Amino acid sequence: MKRISMILMALLLVSATAFADAADVGKSLTVRTFQFKHKQADKAAAAIKGLMSAEGSMSIQPAANSLVVTDAPENMKKIAQALAQFDTAAQALKLTIRLVSAGRAAAEAARSDASLSDVASKLALLRYNVLESVGAADVSGREGEAGLVDLGTYRADFHFGDYDPASNSVKLADFRLSRLEGDQLSPILKTTLNLTIGQTVIIGATKQAQSQRALMSVVTAQR
Amino acid sequence: MISCESFRNRFVAETDDAAVLEHLRACDRCLDFAAGIDPDVMFRALGGGELLPPGGVDAFVDGVMQQVRVRSAESTVAAANVLSWPRRLAVAATLAAGISGTMIFYGGRVPAAVATRGAATTPVAIARGVHPVPVEKFATKPVVETYESQNATIVEVPTSETGGNDDVKIVMIFDENLPADL
Repeated sequence: MKRISMILMALLLVSATAFADAADVGKSLTVRTFQFKHKQADKAAAAIKGLMSAEGSMSIQPAANSLVVTDAPENMKKIAQALAQFDTAAQALKLTIRLVSAGRAAAEAARSDASLSDVASKLALLRYNVLESVGAADVSGREGEAGLVDLGTYRADFHFGDYDPASNSVKLADFRLSRLEGDQLSPILKTTLNLTIGQTVIIGATKQAQSQRALMSVVTAQR
Repeated sequence: MISCESFRNRFVAETDDAAVLEHLRACDRCLDFAAGIDPDVMFRALGGGELLPPGGVDAFVDGVMQQVRVRSAESTVAAANVLSWPRRLAVAATLAAGISGTMIFYGGRVPAAVATRGAATTPVAIARGVHPVPVEKFATKPVVETYESQNATIVEVPTSETGGNDDVKIVMIFDENLPADL
């Protein structure tokens, strides 16, 4: 009788274990260490921040230039994929910059350069109907390199940042726009931009929303 | 006291044999035997030979025996309903073993019917020969991450206002520090 009881108890224990395992399936987390050859671990951490789940966590190990990531197994696949794309040798990037002087005028005075037809309709929504191209240039470089281009009386300088596979974007760090006045460069604005690859971004700068003039920087990044 | 065999040899209807009546008070099987021959013997054995129950002795004996049979039947049914603890444990263990086996068989996978239970389901029609292409979703970042002036207002024009496509994005920077003659 005692033996039978023991067997039955063991069966109950096995059953309870099976239940516990089934309940833990959805909550289990995996830990993985990623070591980087080309990129910094802290930048890699920033790159995958948007992919982490609420239960996920990570820690940077600067000495080993590695990142320890804890997350759900299905999420870990996406993270590993993103990091594999991220940790590549400095990628070649190309930036197309057009500088446009935009103004508001009566409908009969509206005019636009032919080269700006792709953005004219968009800027018309903001009631800018006089568009003059100030300058245009293509700049090629690699991640981490500096870029400089003169556009008419203006100068743009910047640094190509890292390509972020999670957002399919590249950072344009310290983008400074200056104006040549005589032999002096007067700074106009300084910003850091995130440019989605292939997307045309118009950065308009003006004093106030009702100002009649604005300077538009039309930029497109390509890999 | 005399034996059952002696009792059955000596018993006759309307007997007043003291040894026979003494045995009758102690032995139920012989009482059944004697009642079949002489219904009054039960009362004589109890010492109540002169008493007469309402409805007669036969009706009284029938009633008593019917109650005995009913009680006996109830006991049998009740005994069948009661499960001892080893039996209960065995049933529980059998159920547990069955569930464990199912769990092991599925290897921790949750059946689709369970996974979607409580969630609204939408029928999906896929054309024959056409494979669904996964759409790659990217995280979104603000176009302007930093700007040097703290007093500037930065407005990202929604895509819906620029024709609904993502090909062109407009971000306006309103900054009183900017020159007026841009």
